[in-house]
Amino acid sequence: MQLDIPFIWTAITEIIKALPITLVIAFTPIIIGLLIGITVAFLRMNPIKVLTPIANFYVSFYRGTPVIMHIMIIYFGLPLLVESTFGISLNFVPIAIFIIIALALNAGAYLSEIIRSGILSVSKGQIDAAYSIGMTTTETLRRIVLPQAFASALPNLTNILIGFLHATSIAFLVSVKELTGAANILASSNLKFLEAFIAAGVIYWGITIIIELVAHLIERKITAYSNTGVARD
Amino acid sequence: MGGSFDPSLIFNSIPKLLPYLHITIEILALSVGIGLLLGILIAMPKLYHIPILKEIVTVYISFIRGTPILIQLFLVFYGLPVIIGQLGIDITRMDPFYFVIITYTLSNAASFAEIFRGAISSVDYGQTEAAYSVGFTPWQNFYRIVFPQAFRVAFPNIANTSISSLKDTSLAFSIGVMDMMGRGETLITATAHAVEIYISLAIIYYVVVLIFERGFKWIEHYLNRYLVKDELSM
Repeated sequence: MQLDIPFIWTAITEIIKALPITLVIAFTPIIIGLLIGITVAFLRMNPIKVLTPIANFYVSFYRGTPVIMHIMIIYFGLPLLVESTFGISLNFVPIAIFIIIALALNAGAYLSEIIRSGILSVSKGQIDAAYSIGMTTTETLRRIVLPQAFASALPNLTNILIGFLHATSIAFLVSVKELTGAANILASSNLKFLEAFIAAGVIYWGITIIIELVAHLIERKITAYSNTGVARD
Repeated sequence: MGGSFDPSLIFNSIPKLLPYLHITIEILALSVGIGLLLGILIAMPKLYHIPILKEIVTVYISFIRGTPILIQLFLVFYGLPVIIGQLGIDITRMDPFYFVIITYTLSNAASFAEIFRGAISSVDYGQTEAAYSVGFTPWQNFYRIVFPQAFRVAFPNIANTSISSLKDTSLAFSIGVMDMMGRGETLITATAHAVEIYISLAIIYYVVVLIFERGFKWIEHYLNRYLVKDELSM
């Protein structure tokens, strides 16, 4: 077997057409997950009976099991659940929606931990100071706590973003036509597996590098106020 | 899917899946073990500023960090036979298990290299100077002075990487390895009940991850045993 280098380029131009789907199933869950994550993080920091243990178990379970399980259980389980309780068949729902739901629940668990450590990184004195000059809780959160929490959570958020971009490759196992799925179809129809997966790898790599660059730029901007460390640039 | 949800199947399939757990653990142990050694080697060019090699490992680490493990798995599975084939050796019939070990080792090695680099850079250079002043060779300095201190710093991250690697082994079935997940797939075909099998798989993975987390916490405590209490709480 010989490596067909021109085919790699053809494959890149073919596979990149699946990029929008990959980006949608990677980033939509993170936005939904942020809402879940904020709720769960607050539940875990301000204990409420019953709800907090549930939140704790949710985070621990989702962090302790492989993503593929979450995808498979939602993909096979949700239609079963909806059909037995409401009698509605979910056959018309695109598979990508199940992936988004599964990944959103996963994102919620990981993001709640990141948000929690971000919020804990803001010193209690700042919150006291905000209250002392008459800010309401919402104002304190929005203007004092969250901006700083975001700054300290940014490196972790970047990792999560990259992690989800890569996790979407698992969606191909339930035949979503995202990057890996497109590569697999192209590979099987041309019997050029290595070339197609090299092409897919290059695309993933490129997007990852772009995400890292953007994160780096944002980080420099939002940590501009920070007055720590040992050197100035 | 075949009929309604059957909770008893969740508990009935756990004993059928558990005999395959050792494959998962073998993949993990080998890939983490060899990955650690390889990781130290890969960290060297950056730590000692070796030209050319430094650039090569940077690209390597960036590639591993930039692509999904599933793609890496396919690249090794389809690519390695082509590379080895150039030498006239045919490995296309090799057990997929070895391809999995190679992929996860390469992947873990890149993560470990970055972890070691960070940890080794965190050890005060004065320690190296002191070691040289009492006549240590560079190798003795590395493995008797710098590395043991760096390992303590690196350990929590190594533990995290190992645990996510354990979860990633669930993808090995996609190139045909008969691990727990592969066995689960055959059970699904046999019973036509997918959700129940995936739930029992999730339970097994969850319990194994919890046990590993406990174990790593214990080792972490052991590695930190000579630290003064208030230094730890910082």
